[in-house]
Amino acid sequence: MPELIRVGRDEDRDTYHLNMGPQHPSTHGVLRLRLHLKGEVILSADPIVGYSHRAHEKMAENRNYIQFLPNTSRMDYLSGMIYNVGYCQAIEKIIGLEVPERAEYIRVICCELNRISSHLLWYGTLLMDLGGFTPFLYCFEDRERILDILDLVSGSRLTYCYGRFGGVTEDVDDKFLSETLAFCKHLRNRLPEYDDLVTNNVIFQNRCKGIGHIDKKTCHEFAVTGPCQRAAGEKRDVRRDEPYGIYDRFDFKVPTRTGGDCFDRFMVRVEEISESLSIVEQAISKLPVGPVMAPKVPRKIAPAKGEYYFAVESARGHFGMYIVSNGTEIPERMHFRTPSFSNLATMRRVLKGSTISDTVAILGSIDIVLPEIDR
Amino acid sequence: MEMISDVYRGFRSLLKGMGVTIRHFFRKPVTVEYPRERAVVSKVQRNAIVLIEKDDIGSHNCIACLQCEKICPSNCISITGSRKDGLAFKRPDTFDLNFALCSECGLCLDVCPTDTLGYSKQYDKAGYSREDFFYDLLDQWKATEETALGTLREIERKKKEEREARRKADAEAKAKAKENDDGDEKA
Repeated sequence: MPELIRVGRDEDRDTYHLNMGPQHPSTHGVLRLRLHLKGEVILSADPIVGYSHRAHEKMAENRNYIQFLPNTSRMDYLSGMIYNVGYCQAIEKIIGLEVPERAEYIRVICCELNRISSHLLWYGTLLMDLGGFTPFLYCFEDRERILDILDLVSGSRLTYCYGRFGGVTEDVDDKFLSETLAFCKHLRNRLPEYDDLVTNNVIFQNRCKGIGHIDKKTCHEFAVTGPCQRAAGEKRDVRRDEPYGIYDRFDFKVPTRTGGDCFDRFMVRVEEISESLSIVEQAISKLPVGPVMAPKVPRKIAPAKGEYYFAVESARGHFGMYIVSNGTEIPERMHFRTPSFSNLATMRRVLKGSTISDTVAILGSIDIVLPEIDR
Repeated sequence: MEMISDVYRGFRSLLKGMGVTIRHFFRKPVTVEYPRERAVVSKVQRNAIVLIEKDDIGSHNCIACLQCEKICPSNCISITGSRKDGLAFKRPDTFDLNFALCSECGLCLDVCPTDTLGYSKQYDKAGYSREDFFYDLLDQWKATEETALGTLREIERKKKEEREARRKADAEAKAKAKENDDGDEKA
């Protein structure tokens, strides 16, 4: 039998193989972890992906650049807005299209709201994996408000197709702005409540502290990005290091920790929520008036022959788009560098020596989205 | 001694957490009792596309240019159209939408030259088979199609008259200018 399929007790009857997933609620999708166990301790772990492969990259080779827009938000369905807008920004940069100021600000507001909603969902599901159901409901209540706000402008709740080459589809109205500001205030009041309920909870701290160390060296070797990398002490953020769009105009901190364990990753994300809130508030206070769509968008989008790379910071880390154009309307090749894939790859090293119950916490803390890994 | 402080800390954090949940007891529910109450749908809610009424025509203004059919990434629109007597543009004979394939990207609305595509407001459609999501968009316009054609012909006729009048005026103006020029030359 091929090594990856074999499960059950080994011949020496001392160790055994166990499949965790693909239909396991705490693997956040269809991830299969093949664990080699001795008792409760993991000797080796193989993450096996590909169960929700939908060939987005191949689809890109069979349609023109505009038609690929709905695919982008379906790769990472939790931060679809960031992917969608990121793809638009990539194409705009390639063909040299100027985006109106107002559209840029709206994009930042929507992307940061989407980042918060993604982090809130992660917060809830991590806590649910650890056995706390109440925080999950509170997080979803807050996340629901974000989805409603984004629904006001983009017309969808999860898989947004809001960005267009040269701007966005809809202008924001006063209702959107007032509700966003009200939400920011509401969530700021809610965060201390979350701290009382979760962060300061001794059981939670004991569950998370000191497990799942991803250190700087591992980050470098596996190209770990996003909150996982920042929790290891690396101050890296695409928004800060190579600002795309108008991110250089905002004043925000890049939260970092030094330990690199589950609790540090948790704290980094919680701090990121309040940083994103401050970006949203700054963007609303500076929001200029004007059009939300570039006046002249070429009907045919055919970038010059060549290879292009563009990266944005998604809720999970460095999301890169590698686009090869052959000068026609249809791309020659499109490849996406998605953060969860690299973050998950570390599991082979990180899970070694930990226990099954910790595996759930570690997997939850790296915040993987399987459709984004498989694409 | 350490154990006692641990127990104390643990109890305190637990009670604090419970305080949060107890406060939530007295807050308003955030859910909507769906069949009895209905959620307010956003103005720009994306949904199945419909042909929207144009005030001057009293019907939709689809000219069967097939742009939406061409741009649709999931090929869920299929249109056939033909020329009608007295009309400058085509008129659709069939306009079928396979909503099961639609991903609500809104690209068809963007390319529509007459802005006659819009989103349906009905958000809780359900069905038992694939065929339940094959929509015929012309269904609701069938009854008024004849009058709409009449209105369109009327509009077309008026436009034509206007065009001709303009052409006449232009020609007259030109002739006058020429006359003036001639006069200038003579003088």
